[in-house]
This record gives sequence, C-alpha cells and structure tokens, in this order.
Amino acid sequence: MSDFKVNIRERSDSIHVLELKGYLDAHTTPILEDSFQKLLNEKKYRIVVNCKELNYISSAGLGVFMAFIEDVRANAGDIKMSDMSPKVFNIFDLLGFPMLYDIVKTEEEAAGKFSKN
Amino acid sequence: MKISTCRVVLCGHLVCFCIVYSLFSFTNRNFHIGIPKNKTYQTEQFLMRLRKLLLLTGAFILTLAVFIINTISKNVDLGDTLMQYVRSSLVILSFLFIFFYIQIIKRERSRSVVQNIGAVATFAGIFLAVFLIISLLPHKGFEIRQLKLFPLDYLTIFFSSILSLFAGTFAIVTVLFIKDLVLYKRKKTSARNFWILIGCLAIASLSTIMSRPLEETVWSGIFSGLAILMIIVNSFRLSWIAYLPRKEKIYALLYSLLAFFGFLAILVIISIQDAQTQKGIQYYSSPLFTFVQLSSMFGAVYFGMSFVSTLFHLPTAEAFDRKQTEISSLHNLSRLINQVFDLKDLADTATKMVTEVVQASSVWLEIIPTAGAGHKSGLMSSRNISEDVIQHFITTEETSPRTIVLQTKKVLMIDDVEEDKRTKHLPKMKFAGSLLIIPLLSHNNVIGILYATKEISFGFDQDDVDILTGFADQVAIAIENARLIERSLEKERLQRELLLAQEMQKRLLPQTLPKFSTFEMQAVSSPALEVGGDYYDVVQIDKDRVAMVIGDVSGKGVGAAFYMAEVKGIFQSLAKIYCSPKDFLIKANESLVSSIDKRSFISLIYSTIHITTGELVISRGGHCPVLYVSSDHREFIKPIGMGLGITAGKIFEENVEEKKIMMKKGDVCVFYTDGVTESRSSSGDEFGYERLQEVVLAHKDRSAEEIKEAIIQNVWNYTDAEGYHDDLTIFVIKWLGTTSMEQL
Repeated sequence: MSDFKVNIRERSDSIHVLELKGYLDAHTTPILEDSFQKLLNEKKYRIVVNCKELNYISSAGLGVFMAFIEDVRANAGDIKMSDMSPKVFNIFDLLGFPMLYDIVKTEEEAAGKFSKN
Repeated sequence: MKISTCRVVLCGHLVCFCIVYSLFSFTNRNFHIGIPKNKTYQTEQFLMRLRKLLLLTGAFILTLAVFIINTISKNVDLGDTLMQYVRSSLVILSFLFIFFYIQIIKRERSRSVVQNIGAVATFAGIFLAVFLIISLLPHKGFEIRQLKLFPLDYLTIFFSSILSLFAGTFAIVTVLFIKDLVLYKRKKTSARNFWILIGCLAIASLSTIMSRPLEETVWSGIFSGLAILMIIVNSFRLSWIAYLPRKEKIYALLYSLLAFFGFLAILVIISIQDAQTQKGIQYYSSPLFTFVQLSSMFGAVYFGMSFVSTLFHLPTAEAFDRKQTEISSLHNLSRLINQVFDLKDLADTATKMVTEVVQASSVWLEIIPTAGAGHKSGLMSSRNISEDVIQHFITTEETSPRTIVLQTKKVLMIDDVEEDKRTKHLPKMKFAGSLLIIPLLSHNNVIGILYATKEISFGFDQDDVDILTGFADQVAIAIENARLIERSLEKERLQRELLLAQEMQKRLLPQTLPKFSTFEMQAVSSPALEVGGDYYDVVQIDKDRVAMVIGDVSGKGVGAAFYMAEVKGIFQSLAKIYCSPKDFLIKANESLVSSIDKRSFISLIYSTIHITTGELVISRGGHCPVLYVSSDHREFIKPIGMGLGITAGKIFEENVEEKKIMMKKGDVCVFYTDGVTESRSSSGDEFGYERLQEVVLAHKDRSAEEIKEAIIQNVWNYTDAEGYHDDLTIFVIKWLGTTSMEQL
C-alpha cells in the first residue's frame, strides 16, 4: 500500500522531471526528499514533478514541496507540477497550492512555462 | 578344629556383621527421615552427638572387655574354641563401632581430595610413631607355643591392645579415604570393583578367625591373593588427579609420596617375623592383623600409583588449569550477561577476565557506536594502561591495526609491535611486545574492539586467539543485551511521556460544548496514534455570536500536538478580537508562519454562528469543504483559502474569502477533518465525499448527536480491522430555529 517510487529524468531542454508513482505519505516522503536533495546538490533547479502515476499524497508529502521551494526559487528555478489525477489535484487545491505552484495538465506545458521565463 | 565348626563360626560372624550394619543403616535412616523438618537444628546436633558418644563408649567397653579376657587368659585357660570366638566377635564389633564413628566424623568434615591424602599420610605417620614408641618401651613380649602366642607380662597385653586399636583405626581410615578417591568419578565397574575388594578383604580377614595367630590357612591365602589382585585393579582408579589445579597437584604428589613410604614402612615392620611388637596385633586378633596387613598394602600400592600418575600429569597441569580457568571465565561471563546491564560494569569485568585468562599485561575494550543509536562510545574499560597511550590506537589511519580490524572483522595478531609496519606509527611502548586485537561482532557488525598486550614479543599463541574469540562473542552478546535493555527502558520512558502528552492533548479539546436553544452542536475527535493533530474548539465571542474552529495539523504524533496547542492559544486569544473569520485566518496565519516548521502547515476552518439569526459565516484555510445539507439543497461549501503556515503575507491575504449562509430550521452543517474522507477500506478505497454526503442525507432529520454517531459508525464499518485511518474529527451543527425567528 505504501509503495512509492521516484524516477528522475532529464529532458532535452535540461529540465529535470521527477516521476512520482504510488502513495506519498509520511512513510515514503524520505524517498522524495532524497530525490529533491540530489537535484539540489547537483544544482538543478528547473524541476517538473510529473504526478501521472501518483495515487495519493498526504500532508507530509505536501510538506516536501514546501521544504524545497524556497531554495529552488532562490536559485532562479521552480518546481512545477503536471499530470495530476483529479483526486490528487483536489488535495493540492484544498490547501491552496495552485496559488503558489504552477500546476498544469501536461509535462510539456510545465516545461514550456520555464522557457517563457 | 573341625572345618564345619569353622564354617559355622564364619557364618555367625557374617550374620553378626550384617545385623549390626543393618541396624546402623536403619537408625541412620531414621535419623534423617524420622525427624520432622520443623525440628530444630539443635535437636539434630544433639542426636548426632549422642550417637557418636554411644559408638565411642561401645567401642571402649568392648575393647576393655577384650583386654580383661586377655588378662584373665594369661593365667587361666579359658578353653580354646568358644573363648576365641567370643573374643574375636568382641574385637570385630568394637572395630565396627569405630568404623561407624569415623564415617560420621568424615561426613561432618568434608575435605578436598588433597587434604584427604594428607590426612591418610598423617595417620600413617601417627601409627608408625605409636608402633615405634611401643617397641621401644620395655615389655617382655610373647612366647610361641604350637603357633600360638602367650604374653609374658601384663604390660605386653596392654601394649598389644593399644597398638591393635591404633592399627585397626588406621586400617579403617585408610580404606574409607581411599574409597573416596577410587569412587571420585563413579562408574558402574569402579563401584563394583571396589566392593569386590572390600569383600575379599573382609573374607580374607574373617577366614583367619578360628586359626591360631601364626597359622597360615588355605582360605585366607586364597582370599588374600584375590584381595591383592583387586587392590591392583582398584589402584588404577586415579581420575581425581586430572581435575586438580596445578598447585594442588604438587601437594598431591608430595602427600602421595609420604603416604606411599608410610604404608610401605608399616607393611615391612608388621611383616617382620621375629619382631615382638607386631606380634601384639597378631595376638590381639588374627583377622585384624590380616586386615591391617592388606589395607597397608592397598595404601602402599594405591599411593605409589597415584604418585607416579600425578608425576605424569604435572607437565599437562598448566594446560589443564588454563582450560579450567577458561571454562569458568566463560561460564562467569555468560552468567554476567544475565546480571549486568550496565555497559561500564560489563566492560570492566570483561577486561579483568581477559587479563586473567591469557595473562595479558594490559587489556582494554573500546565500544564502537552504532549509527544513529546514540550509544555511549569510545573506551569503556582499561587495565594497566593509560588513556593517552590508548588514544594512539584509536585512529582512523588506513594502515592502523584498528582500521584493519574494523574492515576485515577478523582477529589481528601482531607478534612484534616494534618491528611490525602496522604498528610503526605508535610511539615506543615498553609494555607491549605483542598485541592481539579482537573485534566484537554482532550481526556481522563490529560493535566493539578488545585489545590485549603482552610485554614479550610473540606472546600470544593460537590458543589465546581461540579463547579470546570465544570470549569476544560472549562479550558482544552481553553488550548487545545491555544496549537492548537500555533501548527498551528508553522506549518505556517515551511511552510514559506519550501517555502524558495524550492526557494533555485531551485537555486541549473542549470537555463540553456550550448549549444553545437555537441550535445543537456535537463533536468527536479520535487520534490515530496516542497523540493526534486534529483540533476543534468553540468560544462565545459576544452575546450574539459563537465562534467555532476545526483544524488539522500536517503530520501526526507529538510534533503535530505541539502545533495544535499553539493553534488553541491563537484561537482563544484572537477569536474575540478578530470576529470576522477572514481577519482571524489572516492574523492566525501571520503568527503561525513565523513559528512553524517550513514543511508543516495547518488547515483550518473558522466560522461564526449568530445565535438568534442563524447567520453562519465560514472562512476556510485550506481545510476540507463544509458539508451543508438543508431540506431542498446540499453542497460542499468551499470558500477560497490556503492552509496556514504555507505562505506569508500577501498571497495568503489575497486568497481568503468568507461565505455567509442563513441557516433555516432543520439545516445541518458538518465540519470534519480529512481523516473522515480519506479513511481507507482494506481494499484501499477511500471513504470519500459521496459516502459522507449519503450518510448525512439519510440522517438529516435526526439530532446532531445521532448524525455524528452515524458518520463515525459508517467510517468505522468502512475501514474495518485492516483498514487505515488518520486522526478523525467530526463537528455537527444543527439549526433548530428560534421562537423569535418563527414569529418573524
């Protein structure tokens, strides 16, 4: 039930994509934290989180984004999210995350938002 | 004398012996079993003393009787057969008494093997001394007629009695003490062989009962021969030697030699044909003489054998001692594991034992901390070495012996510390010629390192390595045990604190909700763990309005509980100042955002209820939407709003709104935390908004309490045993309407 995986992929436009899969809760947040930390250590600040296969996110999971967003933005980067299922989007939406993060339909769209900047 | 009479007499003696022996055993058993256990120790002591007194008196009276008979028979011929029979019986009985007496004494004072040998040697010496003294004292001796002995004066008779008494006692002591040695390690055959020997001794002795003192009979010859054979057989029973420590072996060697010569001397002097003194024993009793002769021979052969055997055991004594120390140390250590839970004590004992077992000049034990466990680390115990010197060893240098052991997890032996390149970095140390480093392994992790040094180079051998490896395993288990206990104590302490936190948290929630005539309020909160992150509260802000709050702190457990307490503080203080729900949320966010951890946030709904008009104003701070059900309408009310603590200032302020609803009679408003909608069944499906709505619709005409119960019951049923639920809180408001409203 608490299966969770992160796959890091680099796009041709040097944007890094985190593909999340499964349940992101208090037990599995360290996996996502490690992935973010890895990108930050490598000074990769343009990040898209692809939530296509993310089934669930708990408040602890949301906390991970909050923990890293300051650092990323301070380095002229951003965390953008895409491909959320309605259920997952609802959780983000309830807490007002869309006001703080770009949450878009597709990964392409998210990547596109970077190039505009 | 006819052979048939001889047989009868012999049988008579045997029967007599059996009767006395069984009587003795019987009283003996009575003594042990017959006395109830509640009888005092003093009574037991008294009875024992009485028995000893009786036995001694009996022996004395019988000896006296024999002495009197002897004195009378010097001048008066008392007849041959009958008198001799009576006399012999008295002699044997007296020695039986002495035998039982000695047995009691021996049982009372249990000695070690070596002490026993020493005692026997001493007895042999005493007997020899008595023998010599008597032979030096003036007495006329015996005249020999027809193989019979006739004392020439009364002094001879007296001396004969004294000497015989000593001889008999000595022989009994010899047999009894050697018995303990022979039966040291009892085997079926060893016991059998010994009793055969005793049988032969008895029969050989008793067979001379009717013969004249200097007469040699066939039967006594045959049984004496058999007895000698059995003496030799029994003399190979020397298993006690092996178990003696080296020091005691040397004593045993000495005592055996003394005893051997003592017995040999006795055997020689009582066998000299024409000496007068030894005839005193023969005159006193032929069976006694044979018995003394045979038991002296037994003593001589046995102690001769034990001397030789001990001598051969000496070279291996040291090794044997070492094994013994090793076994007992390991035994002590394993006992220690169950007793000592303090790491320091444990380490001290371990280093002490290692010093003893391998005779190391210095020993120290270093504990390697396990990652994240927060154990005490570093040097735990040292003997004969200063910490400064040890610090040279505790280095992370790649070629250092410590690093090698940590990596290989194997024993490292350095035969020559000064020459070896692995120890070259160390300052010159006079005390350490050779070094042995043993890792303490637990689950293939090095949890500690044991160091031992010897002053000489090449000081350790394979044996030391084997011993200390076994030792290290035990110490590792002990350390692991001690740590487990430390951990479980820690856990217990945490559990107690958690219970306390739970108690505190319960008090943060309102114990009772205020009651109003116009509406009902019902709430329930159930944490998933001991302490949760859900919160609800109610406060009357002025005479017309009541404020309620429901919230959920991200995360669970103690951390969440702290934030919850903070929220309560904010609610209680700000609610009356900022009556507008929107203002309240903005101010609450301001206070929270600065104090909260950056990855935590709080979702909150703040709403006010007008007691008379039923105006409900709701502001939502990222919390689950409110379910509102009226007679013709139902919806999830979701005013815009972000979670508190997510972002500061402007963005939050721009994204918060208020929603107003005028409640009508029968309207139901349900606030809840995500524990309700996100509760999952065993198959992983969520309870969800739809189910919640259905339950409330089905019960909307019931009281607020019944609606609350229905929701929680449905959630429980849905999640069942294997399901999962978060902290869960439900708050239900049902508008009853006011009389004034109805009038309007």
